[in-house]
Amino acid sequence: MNTNLKISNVTKIYPGCVANDNVSLEFNSGKIYALLGENGAGKSTLVKILSGVIIPDEGKIYLNENNLKLNSPLDAKKNDIGMVFQHFNLFETLSVFENLIIDSDEQRKSLREKIDSIMKKYNFSIDLDIPVLNLSAGQKQKVEIIRCLIRNPKVLIMDEPTSVLTEQETSELFLSLKKFSEEGILIIYITHKLKEVMQLCDEVAVMRRGKLVSVSQIKNENIESLANKMVGQNLKTIKKRKTKTSSDQLINITNLNFISEDPFETNLNNINFSVNRGECLGIAGISGNGQSELFQVLSGEILSDKNSIEYNKNYIGDLNPQERREYLMAFSPEDRLEQAAIPQMAIFENVALNNFKSSNFFNNGLINENKIKEHSKKIISDFNVNTDNIELKSQFLSGGNLQKLIIGRELITAPDLLICFNPTWGLDVGAINYIHETLIKINEQNKSIILISTDTDELLKLSDKISVIHKGKLSNIMNADEVTSEKLGILMGGGN
Amino acid sequence: MIIDIHFIGLIITSIMASAVPLILASCGELITERSGVLNLGVEGMMIIGAISGFAFMTVTGSLFIAVIGAMLAGVLISTIFAFLTQTLITNHVATGLALTIFGIGISAMIGKNFVGIPGKEFPVLFESLKDTIPFLSPILFGHSIVFYFAFALPFFTNYFLKKTKIGLIVRAVGDSPESASNQGINVKLVRYSCILYGGAMCGLAGAYLSMIYTPQWIENMTGGRGWIALALVVFSTWNPIKILIGAMIFGGLTIIQFHMQAMGVRVPVQFLTALPYIVTIIVLVVISRDSRKIRLSTPSSLGKSFYKDN
Repeated sequence: MNTNLKISNVTKIYPGCVANDNVSLEFNSGKIYALLGENGAGKSTLVKILSGVIIPDEGKIYLNENNLKLNSPLDAKKNDIGMVFQHFNLFETLSVFENLIIDSDEQRKSLREKIDSIMKKYNFSIDLDIPVLNLSAGQKQKVEIIRCLIRNPKVLIMDEPTSVLTEQETSELFLSLKKFSEEGILIIYITHKLKEVMQLCDEVAVMRRGKLVSVSQIKNENIESLANKMVGQNLKTIKKRKTKTSSDQLINITNLNFISEDPFETNLNNINFSVNRGECLGIAGISGNGQSELFQVLSGEILSDKNSIEYNKNYIGDLNPQERREYLMAFSPEDRLEQAAIPQMAIFENVALNNFKSSNFFNNGLINENKIKEHSKKIISDFNVNTDNIELKSQFLSGGNLQKLIIGRELITAPDLLICFNPTWGLDVGAINYIHETLIKINEQNKSIILISTDTDELLKLSDKISVIHKGKLSNIMNADEVTSEKLGILMGGGN
Repeated sequence: MIIDIHFIGLIITSIMASAVPLILASCGELITERSGVLNLGVEGMMIIGAISGFAFMTVTGSLFIAVIGAMLAGVLISTIFAFLTQTLITNHVATGLALTIFGIGISAMIGKNFVGIPGKEFPVLFESLKDTIPFLSPILFGHSIVFYFAFALPFFTNYFLKKTKIGLIVRAVGDSPESASNQGINVKLVRYSCILYGGAMCGLAGAYLSMIYTPQWIENMTGGRGWIALALVVFSTWNPIKILIGAMIFGGLTIIQFHMQAMGVRVPVQFLTALPYIVTIIVLVVISRDSRKIRLSTPSSLGKSFYKDN
């Protein structure tokens, strides 16, 4: 049976921003559609309208010529539209089965049989009786997909599904999606990753600033043409110049262990590595394999044995982050709004938070506001932060601008070592490019970087050496030019 | 010193009786908190229940109307809380504290006319069975219906949360209201219902105090039991069965320290009075040490306001 979904003249306006500006699109089953755009382009708003989470100001939605009234997620479900959100809509403390039965009207037994047959058909294997918080991101996504499949959907919408997946999980997902498509489910795939669009989709619609920019066949496009449409200008491709690395060792980690009392954290097991000046060490891995613990140990949020971290010929394992900053280390944590910056505080106040003795931000316990503001303005212009109001609360900055601000702040001291954890997570192509350029520049100035990231492309682009963290253990350290993303993928999954 | 078996039976009965209001209020608050709402107004709702029950009884003469009236009074005052926190999105903690202060104040005002009026005798069940089994039957039989209800409640609550669909929805809302809302669950409705249910149970707990436990109205007669009930919920890690254990320990120590004081044990009175609080918390912390289980039973969204932006 053929499914036809039509979006007709949809407009959604938020105060100060037009999220969707008169968007019209048409989809037919049997094909996989990509909805491509940068963060804030309006694609998430559009699919949230399709799934009933957001009600549009104007415009209509037709499914097989029927005008749909989507006033709540329930309406979308009733009309056979299933959606897998970017941020999982699962109940972490409930079991997988409880998560699935909660919005189903079926009896326990028949539902279980149905789930089993779905899992068999698509080769999923998930224990239904463990709490969701014990699942990996890929498994959680499968639970979300099963939840949609239970209802035999006509339309399946995937919102940035691969942002949390490994290479292997991604290719498994693509196989499943192709299978669904063959079975007549209309698939709409939202992403800002161009490679995936080329790999998976048949047709692509590009959005920019709330407007639909183009609709085209994948076979008529390539990565560059799509990137330019998405950003609206020609992007320069950046590449790291291969510098010959010095043998001047900056930081040396020996026998670093961390045993957590929290069962939801990962223990670190005998970590050893060293980084030379001017070098970028990339640490790859699937999220939740100890990266966050490793970052905290390196930054001093978690203290360790004094002798386990040797930095610039000092033993600093027992120093806290502020003391480590005095030794010219700098940190950019993963969670920009929770760990790196305080959302309710103004930009300049956040800049002052990274206070260190030589900064002159504070005199005799008083805040030297002029000095801080002056410095904040410098960061904003040097690092291309897109605002001129340093009194703005940092929560109102976009992810990209906030990340630029944080990196800028961290580079105040001209640190010898910058430790970043997923610096481009969730950013759009333009911002990613900028951050990457900045990181490369740091290396060119003979400063070092430890880059903990779940994005393999990023690691391959920026690192001189790469290691993989799996279940709190670090793999051998490899030269980046000997590594492929396939090899990393295997190591990330625990293989050899 | 000879303590006869009859005396021990009496002590156990009085321990159980003193645990009843704690169990009722805690089990009600537990449901509220499991839906992600932190209502610190337990003490206020209890005292409102206490005065309402007593007032209805004095005015109408009907115990049935009095008990129902006390529960409705609890529902009414918790509706204020629900409206403020769920519809007007006020802060849970501040609103709950205000509710307690409000409850204590208004109950004292209404209660002025009821001070010194004697209560009525509340009918007991299974009176005739009291002599059938030695030692056990005086403990088991001859109590009010509220007493039996209170001791069954933790088990019902446990069953409700673990085995029923509505219980699952309550837990889901407490875990992640955003996800629940995206799944088409009416978060506000669920939270309103849970708050109102909590209010009803607190009202009942108050009515038990003023109509059954000490059948009279005394100003501020809940005497901090609402706070203990709140503490029981948290330290039991949102587990109704552990609430039962905690309430028994607390009730037990309260009664035993009275007897110790009466016997003239040479320990400072202040220490004895503090003992139930300290020991209850220690015991509950010790039996709830499994951090994995704590994570699984703690409502992740507890005390956080939820609103949908369309």
